[in-house]
Amino acid sequence: MSTLYDVCIVGSGAGGSPIAYELSNAGFKVLVLEKGKNITEEDVSKDELAVSRRDMYTPKLEDERHIINDREQDGSSTRYDGAEYSWSFWNGSMVGGSSNLMSGYFHRMKPNDFKLESVFGAVKGANVVDWCISYDDLEPYYEKVERVVGVSGEVIKHKFLEPRSTKNFPYPKLEENEVTTWFDKACENLSYESFPTPRAVLSRNALDRNSCSYSNFCGSYACATGAKGSGRAALLQKCTAEVRAEAFVYKLESDEKRITKVHYYDSKLESHEVHAKIFVLAAQAIETSRLLLNSKNEFFPDGMANHNKEVGKNLIFSAGGSGQGRFNFKNLSAKEQQDLMQTGLFFNRSLQDWYEFEDAGSRYKGGTIDFLFEHQNVISRASREFYNDSGKLIWGEELKNQIHKSLTQSRVLSFEVFNDWLPTDECFVSVDGTTKDKFGMPVGAINLWGHPQDIKVGEHLAKKAVNVLREMGAEDISYSVSAAPPPNLVAGGCRFGNDPKTSVLDKNCKAHSLDNLYVTDASFMPTGGSVPYTWSIYANSFRVADKIMEHLKFL
Amino acid sequence: MLAPSRREFIKKSLLSGGVLAIASQELLALSTPLQILRVVQVDLFPQEMIENANAFAYITLILNHSRITQDNKQFLLNGTQWLNEEANNTLKKDYIQLNPKERQDILKNIALESWGEDWIKTVLKYIMEATLGDPIYGINKKEFGWKWLSFESGLPQPKEALL
Repeated sequence: MSTLYDVCIVGSGAGGSPIAYELSNAGFKVLVLEKGKNITEEDVSKDELAVSRRDMYTPKLEDERHIINDREQDGSSTRYDGAEYSWSFWNGSMVGGSSNLMSGYFHRMKPNDFKLESVFGAVKGANVVDWCISYDDLEPYYEKVERVVGVSGEVIKHKFLEPRSTKNFPYPKLEENEVTTWFDKACENLSYESFPTPRAVLSRNALDRNSCSYSNFCGSYACATGAKGSGRAALLQKCTAEVRAEAFVYKLESDEKRITKVHYYDSKLESHEVHAKIFVLAAQAIETSRLLLNSKNEFFPDGMANHNKEVGKNLIFSAGGSGQGRFNFKNLSAKEQQDLMQTGLFFNRSLQDWYEFEDAGSRYKGGTIDFLFEHQNVISRASREFYNDSGKLIWGEELKNQIHKSLTQSRVLSFEVFNDWLPTDECFVSVDGTTKDKFGMPVGAINLWGHPQDIKVGEHLAKKAVNVLREMGAEDISYSVSAAPPPNLVAGGCRFGNDPKTSVLDKNCKAHSLDNLYVTDASFMPTGGSVPYTWSIYANSFRVADKIMEHLKFL
Repeated sequence: MLAPSRREFIKKSLLSGGVLAIASQELLALSTPLQILRVVQVDLFPQEMIENANAFAYITLILNHSRITQDNKQFLLNGTQWLNEEANNTLKKDYIQLNPKERQDILKNIALESWGEDWIKTVLKYIMEATLGDPIYGINKKEFGWKWLSFESGLPQPKEALL
């Protein structure tokens, strides 16, 4: 008999790391199985070629891919092999998961996000439901994340500011580029309420971690100082949980009521098994559903916890889009030019004026707009200059001159829109019947469809963002809102609820049909709110850790 | 488009030997993909930039890179042959035997084709990588490209290249 752990956690990101942190610090024997490598502050660099262009933190698609079944408006579906089309849904295969690579834009969900159906009513073609917990249930854990993971910011009162149990963030807001004053002035002129974007980045040395070094490369890159609140830097490196890297869990085993063990492959493709009293899945939404669906036995012929065939259903992403405007030197004073080109300091501005709005007599759930400078990846920026203003591909001296002018005499301010991706019957995870990964396991199939209302709301918000850019004096303003799913903003597939017939998990995120299986990544979310998910995942995972602690008292 | 058997032939020939450019079963010329790429790089971006980027050496690195798919490598190589075919069909010479103006005309011709536009962008993409990537890859000599754009690298820089 191998070691019996109190808790075995599959996945080490924002969903898994709070469980490991809380339970190991409480004295329980905890094992974390992580598919990716253990990469620490000493290992990371700002190597654009490796990180952003060769995707060093995600699996090779030839080895591990997804199948994407993209549904058209006429109901037909097109099958895409992720490897053939370079369509990746991987985010960060490493200890700490994709929380290492996040930008750390941290917004809480609002009280009405927890009761969309009650407040806004049913939407035709969408499976909108209320959550089985309220904002008040999660608020103490949002606050805990602020302290333990570390969130910096400044609370500014605005129309949709959520209730807080503390007056302000525990860490002051990060230093800002002077151009934020242009932004604030423009918003004032438009009667919009701008506020500093809270960030899961330490603005001073704290929590036995270093402050942000303003390296100019945050999103998509792992943090070299430990300032970013990744699950690894903030939690796993601050607890005694055993983390086993390069351990890919491919199957769960169970009896009628309990998970009995998990099987994983190590880096040499040798198989091992782990026994524990409680198992927690947090492999990110798509992979968690895939693992459950791939784990079939006589008790669960359709996959583990899939007694009602709900596993994989109601997959959601963050809807919305992005846009940008360019500030050109020719329109600016020497001082303004200098301010514009100052790198390292954050932009960090958000708008939530239209988190709820009315249009043509109907009330809609809206969303969040975050503003940020165009990513500093210089190869990507230069490569965006391959066409001239007439849309013609250029090269030679003409290309050289255009790159130089664009990158040295102007700067792009971007925005990102976050609104609800309504859950539907047509967007879900399954396993593909024909394609297997390098481990010999059926790959996940992502069945995609976006509800038309997602686009409508995204358009409404994007036009407001354009107003700000125009008021600021930006040129070449453009935006794109589409049903294209952002792979790093994914949730659902194992929604929680009080009714075992219509949900996979109960309100404590324990499987209805298994006594010792929890799911703590974003899979549990029946709707996602109109904000990036990470803070809510962290908060819920801390909440569930308390429930598991109670559970363990009886085992 | 090349027939599958011919694509396979090119794939096997790859870097080492000369690749026969065959049109209508007629032997036209002998130019290796790397010879063509070396010339094309300078046709697509100023020579001073290419040299300081060490862009030609970088192309050979890309063709052996563990995280560049075989399909992408093959497209890069196939494009040299299709470019050469265009030169042979239009001016009855190998691409590398043409004068600079003739080569530019051929590039303009293929840029009107879907494959040609994609292929030129692919070559340019790797030129940008060599021009502006971290010098640890043997490129961007003395940070020439970064100085050109007054760009400051994020820190820390890599201690080793990802190959």
